[in-house]
Amino acid sequence: MTSAAARPAPGAPRPWHFPAFERRTVAGGSLMSAHLPGRPLAVAALVIDAGAALEPRGQEGVAEIVSRALAEGAAGRDSYEFGVAGERIGATWRSSTDWDSLRIGFEVPAPDLAAATALLADAARSADFADDALDRVLDERIDEIGIERSQPAVLAGEALAAAIFAPGSRYAASDGGDPESLDALGRDDIRRYRDARIRRDAGTLVVVGDLEGVDVDALGHTVFDGWDGTPTAGSAPDVAPRGAGRRTVVVDRPGSVQSIVMVGHDGPPRAIDDYVAMTTMALVLGGMFSSRLNMKLREEKGYAYGAFGGFDTRKHGGVFAARAAVQSEVTVPALADMVAEIERVHRDGLTADELEQARAYRAGVFPVNFAGVGPVASGLGDVAVHGFADNHFDALRAKILEVTLDEVNETAQKYLRPEDFVTVVVGDAAGFADDLGSLGLGPIEIVRDGQ
Amino acid sequence: MLTGVPPTPSFPLSTHTLDNGLSVIISEDRLAPVVAVNIWYDVGSRHEQAGRTGFAHLFEHLMFQGSKNVARGEHFAAVNAAGGTLNGTTWCDRTNYYETVPSHHLATALWLEADRMGGLLDALDQDNLDNQRDVVKNEKRQTRDNQPYGAWLDLLHELGYPEGHPYHHSTIGSMADLDAALLEDARAFYSTWYAPDNASLAIVGDVDTDEALKLAETYFGGIASKGSFPEAPSTAIEPRIGREIRDVVTDRVPIPRTFVAYRTAPFGTAEFDAMQVAATVLGGGRGSRLYKSLVLDQQLLQPSDAVVDSWPFIGGATLTIADLPAREGVEIERLEAAYHSEVDRLASGVTDEEIARAKALITSQWLHHLASVDGRADTFNEYATLLGDPALVNEALPTILRVSAEDVKAVVADVMRPDNRVVLTFIPSESDEQEAAA
Repeated sequence: MTSAAARPAPGAPRPWHFPAFERRTVAGGSLMSAHLPGRPLAVAALVIDAGAALEPRGQEGVAEIVSRALAEGAAGRDSYEFGVAGERIGATWRSSTDWDSLRIGFEVPAPDLAAATALLADAARSADFADDALDRVLDERIDEIGIERSQPAVLAGEALAAAIFAPGSRYAASDGGDPESLDALGRDDIRRYRDARIRRDAGTLVVVGDLEGVDVDALGHTVFDGWDGTPTAGSAPDVAPRGAGRRTVVVDRPGSVQSIVMVGHDGPPRAIDDYVAMTTMALVLGGMFSSRLNMKLREEKGYAYGAFGGFDTRKHGGVFAARAAVQSEVTVPALADMVAEIERVHRDGLTADELEQARAYRAGVFPVNFAGVGPVASGLGDVAVHGFADNHFDALRAKILEVTLDEVNETAQKYLRPEDFVTVVVGDAAGFADDLGSLGLGPIEIVRDGQ
Repeated sequence: MLTGVPPTPSFPLSTHTLDNGLSVIISEDRLAPVVAVNIWYDVGSRHEQAGRTGFAHLFEHLMFQGSKNVARGEHFAAVNAAGGTLNGTTWCDRTNYYETVPSHHLATALWLEADRMGGLLDALDQDNLDNQRDVVKNEKRQTRDNQPYGAWLDLLHELGYPEGHPYHHSTIGSMADLDAALLEDARAFYSTWYAPDNASLAIVGDVDTDEALKLAETYFGGIASKGSFPEAPSTAIEPRIGREIRDVVTDRVPIPRTFVAYRTAPFGTAEFDAMQVAATVLGGGRGSRLYKSLVLDQQLLQPSDAVVDSWPFIGGATLTIADLPAREGVEIERLEAAYHSEVDRLASGVTDEEIARAKALITSQWLHHLASVDGRADTFNEYATLLGDPALVNEALPTILRVSAEDVKAVVADVMRPDNRVVLTFIPSESDEQEAAA
């Protein structure tokens, strides 16, 4: 016979703070390090102010090409030998580019942190950028985009950006570029971007792991000593949205058994004062399993495997977007529900219970999210990219716990703009195009997938 | 100075069995104030009845729909409100449920898991079933039917295992079978398989072992054991296929892509371990044979981190799978031929340096996999449920590091043979090729 014990109350929380880290200048370069005892793996990474937002017009995607080409041979090792040199010590190379940074580095067993850092320095400072390697990286990337774009969710995201932002605005194109911009890219364009952007004064070396007995300054010297370079001013990119008002773009993909539905508009940059209030609001709208969008489209209607929404806040601007992959037959009612849920939050705000739930989750999850070396290194990278204060994460957590219902609901009115909804549907248009007009989502443009 | 293969850590653990048969694994790690709670039930899609494929996974969804003292939707909300993350997954050999929470919420996580282990039937109803059936059908559409190459996994199951074999169908099941699922099926499935004596609970993180065991006893101790479980359908199968099986799918895909799958001895065997090292020499990382030959030199293969991997099945035999997407404009026949000749070359021997690279990579991947408390909890349960002993986690890496160059050569010659492989090729349909060219 089952005799269930009563539902428990939580115990006393163990105090938690974001890991203490040091920030200093070594050999003219910026260094951030955090000692996390007991971890068998460590991270050495360079976070560089060379993100996609800085790319010259017509060269969209060059930052990502540069981030890959940095691992294609340096200091007497060709591409293959560079790969082997890292893997021989169990070091895993990671490179990534987003709007506001280019990040390269290794995760490596702690005893070989210095060896991995030396390889990182070679990549950052003296990568060969040989003709054949650049050609191959470029071709691979163009093929890769073709594969990505065959996925309807990727198509939808790209269509939404292009519909929200004005033609020529950097945010109208993908941060990774497109086949047209990459096709036009010459080897010297790639080298020029590297020379202009991958510099000591643009980079921060982030070192995280068990640093007992590690000479962290020496790692800084390995990377920065004698690495000169001319500072290059980055101009603020053009990220202008199209005009106000609603519009809808349908990407017709005949035979699709699902439609990707997205609703969004341009959004504010990361640096706004009410960032915490806005993103807490968005958590309730579409950022947790128990969010309004997921509860409606998944748990009530069964239209989708999941529904999400939130803000992507960048240095120079941002995007609000909600999305779901819904079975084709319910495309229009699902879209109507999605729009109605966003409008309802905009109009009526959250309940006190919802705010409490979101605050508890968001503040509570810090220890879970920052338990390992990878997330801490990535967090330090964010501090470097956005120029946050040393107490950034602890202050952020405190602010989350303090944010009020009024503050949160104010951001729902300010940053959700139903009058400017841009809607994208990627699916079999024959099944829903006739009914779509009934939703009042503005003029509808239909394009065929692949054109 | 390169130190080469790093030292391998040994994780502390203690194992216990409650009176009702529940296995409890506790491993202390005080580095961060978080704890992982993880449960594996020894039931997966290979236990499903004919006409009810996909049921184990559909049932997993129902486990999040409330239980005796937990309202519908409350399970997710309660873990989130505790600052925790959570999910569940189903595969052929097992179903798992897990949450990672700040350690002062350990009792809440255990209570929630216990409530649905012992009291699901109080909340299970037709509405929940119908709703989650729709959700799962959309999961299938999103991950398979509306996704380029989305059929590959189901097809490898069908081609790699004969009809009637428990691995012949994949975990997601068929739309028809999902439609056919009845509420009484769900009740019967729960009553048959969900019990403390068919489960393993792992608690890993910022806990005191004695206190954690006491909490496990408090919340799970009152749940009645079942005592016996139906015999799982036999997974017996010939160790090798005995012929080459080929299939070509013409579909809406952007570029040709071939999968080559070999029948291999299951997880937990020496052959499986040797195959892991062979797979890394052949297709793991930028220093691998395939990366050097097919990506860099011949430029036939679209690069990825891991080209060759094995599914950790325990019944009868598993599949080792090479995933080979072609570069644009490359004839898939040429890529396939170049791949096979690399395999042939591997069968004639590997260097010590290649073995050392593979082992360093396998070691750091293992450390990465076990770095988090949730990864460790899941792995303890994997070894407990599939191999019968969680302490084998601490043996796994030393065992694989004993694989020699001779072992690799032998396993490649023995397993990666033409008469032991499935070759599944996706070809773009004509209209897609035209569009890509336009």
